[in-house]
Amino acid sequence: MNMSKAWLVFKKDWTEIKRNWQVLLPIIIVPIIFSVVLPAIVLGISGTPIEDSQSGDFDTLIGILPLDVQAQLSNFNPNQIMVYIMVLYFFAPFFLIIPVMASSVLGSDSFAGERERKTIEALLATPLSDSELFMGKVLVSFIPAMLVTFVSFGIYTVLVDVMTYSMFNGILLLPNLNFLIIILGVAPVLALCSIGLTVMISAKVKGFKEAQQISVLLLIPVLGLVFGQISGLLVLGPLVLALLIGLFAVIDVVVFYLGVKVFQREEILSKPA
Amino acid sequence: MIEAENLTRTFGSLTAVNNLNLHIDKGEVFGFLGPNGAGKTTTIRMLACLIAPTRGTATVAGYNIQKDPLKVRQSVGILTENPSLYERLSAYENMDFFAQAYGVTDLVERRKRIQELLEFFHLWERRNDKVAGFSKGMKQKLAIVRATVHRPPVMFLDEPTAGLDPQSAKEIRDMMAELSVHEKCTILLSTHHLEDAEKLCNRVLIMNKGSVLLVGSPDELRQKTNEKPMVEIALKQVSSKILKTLDGVMAAEGVKQQENRLLISVKDTATATPEIVRSIVAADGDVLAVNALKPSLEEAYLKLIKGGEKQ
Repeated sequence: MNMSKAWLVFKKDWTEIKRNWQVLLPIIIVPIIFSVVLPAIVLGISGTPIEDSQSGDFDTLIGILPLDVQAQLSNFNPNQIMVYIMVLYFFAPFFLIIPVMASSVLGSDSFAGERERKTIEALLATPLSDSELFMGKVLVSFIPAMLVTFVSFGIYTVLVDVMTYSMFNGILLLPNLNFLIIILGVAPVLALCSIGLTVMISAKVKGFKEAQQISVLLLIPVLGLVFGQISGLLVLGPLVLALLIGLFAVIDVVVFYLGVKVFQREEILSKPA
Repeated sequence: MIEAENLTRTFGSLTAVNNLNLHIDKGEVFGFLGPNGAGKTTTIRMLACLIAPTRGTATVAGYNIQKDPLKVRQSVGILTENPSLYERLSAYENMDFFAQAYGVTDLVERRKRIQELLEFFHLWERRNDKVAGFSKGMKQKLAIVRATVHRPPVMFLDEPTAGLDPQSAKEIRDMMAELSVHEKCTILLSTHHLEDAEKLCNRVLIMNKGSVLLVGSPDELRQKTNEKPMVEIALKQVSSKILKTLDGVMAAEGVKQQENRLLISVKDTATATPEIVRSIVAADGDVLAVNALKPSLEEAYLKLIKGGEKQ
């Protein structure tokens, strides 16, 4: 496989995507909501005093946190506990939704969208190999999705640190180990899994919207993590995150093996647009 | 340059192309004629390595379509049924991408080639405009530029003049003639436009329901109609003396009068026309115009297709 050819496909697709608001809007708006709007609301109301009885809402979650964290929380007032839990635990899984959502939108447009716009035949007629085409399409889903995730996390970190600096007496809450593992470890393997599945879905459906609608279902397991953490069923600590990385890495290998098999010129052409 | 041997493609129980045998020489413009669903596009897709044959084999530009698909694709320029252009990219961006995809890596050479082709089709001034704003004719021309940008030795053109105005259609025909004569490019032209086939093709293949009905020159196709060529003569006035004179002319095998025009069936227009005109002038006829009429290619085509369907 010639990587420069795969890069050529990436550049072409990326130029197209930059001019397509139907694709750009969801991958800009959703991260803004998760990294700016929701945290700003939470941090904005954090100045309102919380009764001791209300802080009990977090007891289940606090109960399964590591002992050193529990010890640290015992020194905090209810407002600090709420902010600490929300900012470092509740919002953490949102940064897994961002790469899944972005990569499925980009992947759907790149694969199924090309067939829908009837540009696929000329592309498949070029001497680019199946693997070069596939890699180019994966890159155009993966790189922007990760870029959006990193930028969102950067903004979130700055926002959180600025708004909680005085509340926590000069301690910077972010970045911490959990978030770094999520952003640098879990998010990439999850995005790759999403892209692989989107490729397979795209090969079986007629167009971009259909592919996008089905690939949204990929968010269900991620939402499971969100609600699992909110309800105190699990904590995305280093061990759980390491297990997730391992799990998704295995799924990635399987999904990519199947994805490459599905990404065959004849298979793609034979689907009606 | 293109050889096919028993090339067959089935889709389930449907045989789209059935035992196609083909030999096309270098620099030849070869017409592929047939109604919708005849198997023309499937054949092109097999020869361009977009789909695999169910049986049989073919070589294109010396490369086997099953063993060297990448080399075949490298040697081929293809115009698909749809222009297949990226509408959010400019004309230049589209061409630049495809030129690189086809291996034109040298930037200076690429720019020069794209400029040359866009100027030929009067699109250079619009090179930075997004393709979405182009007319159908402009998109079709741009798709032809894409097919030729890497100077392929073989081109597959699927309906290149479909839906174009006469001027644009002529430009595309001129381009094909230029490529065939000067660049010795072998062109497989799939078309419903018999005018294109007549003007450009050295030979044509007529297929229907996946099977070949005829391969030959356009003239050979015309002979299939069993209709004779005609000489059409416009006169100032058709007199009984002229008609009587023509009765005695051996070359005039049948005469029909339509007001002041005579339609005369002949064996060969080249030898019969001077004799007939001389006889009319000798009978005091004032000849206004003379036109040699060949049997219509369209009529021959329709007759063959109809015959093929009956079988």
